Amino acid sequence: MSDIVIDVQDLTKSYGRVRAVRDIDLKVRRGEIFGYLGPNGAGKTTTMRCLLDLIRPDGGTVRVLGLDPQADPVAVQARAGYLPGELRLDPNMTVEGALRYFNALRGNKVDWGFVRQLAERLDLDLKPIIKNLSHGNKQKVGVVQALMHRPELLLLDEPTLGLDPLMQREVLRLLAEAQAEGATVFFASHILSEVQAAAERVAIIREGVIVEVAETASLINRAMRRATIRFKQAVDIGPLANVPGVTVLSQDDGTSVLLQVEGEMDGLIKALAAFPVSDFETERPSLEEIFLAYYEAGDEEGN
Amino acid sequence: MFAEFKHTLRRMRGQMIGWGIGLALYGLMMVSFFDTIADIAGFEELIASYPQELLAFFGDMMAITTPAGYIDIYYCTYMQIIIGIFAVGVGASLLVGDEEKGILDLVLAHPVSRTALFWGRWLGFVAATAVILLVSWLSWVIPSGRSGMELTWIEFLRPFLPLFAELLVFGTLALLFSMLLPSVRMAGMASGGLLVANYLLIGLANINKDLESAIKFTPLHYYQGGDAVTELNWGWLAGLLAVSAVFALLAWWRFQRRDIRVGGEGGWRLPSLWLPFRRRAGTKREA
Repeated sequence: MSDIVIDVQDLTKSYGRVRAVRDIDLKVRRGEIFGYLGPNGAGKTTTMRCLLDLIRPDGGTVRVLGLDPQADPVAVQARAGYLPGELRLDPNMTVEGALRYFNALRGNKVDWGFVRQLAERLDLDLKPIIKNLSHGNKQKVGVVQALMHRPELLLLDEPTLGLDPLMQREVLRLLAEAQAEGATVFFASHILSEVQAAAERVAIIREGVIVEVAETASLINRAMRRATIRFKQAVDIGPLANVPGVTVLSQDDGTSVLLQVEGEMDGLIKALAAFPVSDFETERPSLEEIFLAYYEAGDEEGN
Repeated sequence: MFAEFKHTLRRMRGQMIGWGIGLALYGLMMVSFFDTIADIAGFEELIASYPQELLAFFGDMMAITTPAGYIDIYYCTYMQIIIGIFAVGVGASLLVGDEEKGILDLVLAHPVSRTALFWGRWLGFVAATAVILLVSWLSWVIPSGRSGMELTWIEFLRPFLPLFAELLVFGTLALLFSMLLPSVRMAGMASGGLLVANYLLIGLANINKDLESAIKFTPLHYYQGGDAVTELNWGWLAGLLAVSAVFALLAWWRFQRRDIRVGGEGGWRLPSLWLPFRRRAGTKREA
């Protein structure tokens, strides 16, 4: 059995003049949770839909679970669970009716006790009609249908979209449990914290091109943070500016300072031990800022 | 395929009930009126006084006092258009309706081949159409014993068979158009427009004999209507069924090869036509 569950090489797909993805190379290992990170419109959904033969690539090769999705889509789909980014369900069916329909498409092989268990954990009532559900509850239906047949591979496009923080955590827990049972999880997201919490490795896609594949920890460490420090009295912040990775963005009469920190915070915190600190706040940058930091770092390396 | 067939029928049950009840009430009413209309003194003279063009457009209206002519004028002539609306609407949205709503994306991510999905739904449409016509046929057959419409159940059945075939032709044409055109609405409009145009052309050909050669290439020329009560043209019936099978095969072939679209992902427009005077994207007009 191959250790590579998703193997994509030179994948290219255009919609008319718009090149959605270009020459993508991607390998996802068996049993890992892999985050696919990028802003809206970056090409995450296009990549995922090529893996399930919902759309046909213009170029490149795709192998999923050792199979060619174009040659044998049903075999791939039988072993995969999919949650689309823009989940749409038949509005006139009940939740149970929709799940039973998906079960019928899977040959009625699903353990219905497990479905009830998933619904209970996600606090999902099976009786209501889909059109009466909130966006979050519809998303829960999507999560249940993706997981209910205990697939070998989970392809999830923004799995926690519209869920409250408690449910987001529960979904991430379900993914971890699926992984523990041997499943591989490939999920797309534009939420850094979600990827950070769940994924071991991550690929960053921007404008249809993969710009980085890295361990999540390494990506996070590379990311900038902003730190706002308030002092009990005016101080000379010179020693802080000399800490490696720290840039002073602004300061107010020596009683507060806004810093940008690249990499680990350890150096800054040690340097602050010598200061009369009254307050210390850090803030993660937006994904776009991480991208910019990455590109700037890339440019510097190139130079 | 069976799961999709069942699902399609379940989703269409409202339409089957609605159309079935409507057509059943119409059938019951028309059967109960037959004796009255057939016995109206001077009714044939009244019809004969209509403009010749009008009589020619609608066919042999003088036969209205016979059971076959009555069914032809009061059922077969209109129902090809009226139930045709159902067939065209269902055919156009059979797959692409769900695609436009974004539902098909998730359905096809399940282990169901496009072939099974296509034929499961198409057979669901065929079965739903058959059920509606069956209910309609029963509404003529059951009360006919109490009226002067002395036809056997099989004589009543015969005109429903060409109607069934004609509905399959235009419903499946709408399905084929939905695979080629950018939206359900356009597919419905194109196939519905062809149905109405064909209907008018057949009527006009009864007035203007020059049009007769043209209508031979249209499906409704081979639709028998009430004439089938006395003798069914099996060749025409088979021909209409064969045409709908060809349309279905073409639609299936196209469905196999196309991307499943989701909103905002492109592919909703017709392929742009190259025009020599149109500027290429990204180029600037010289000052």
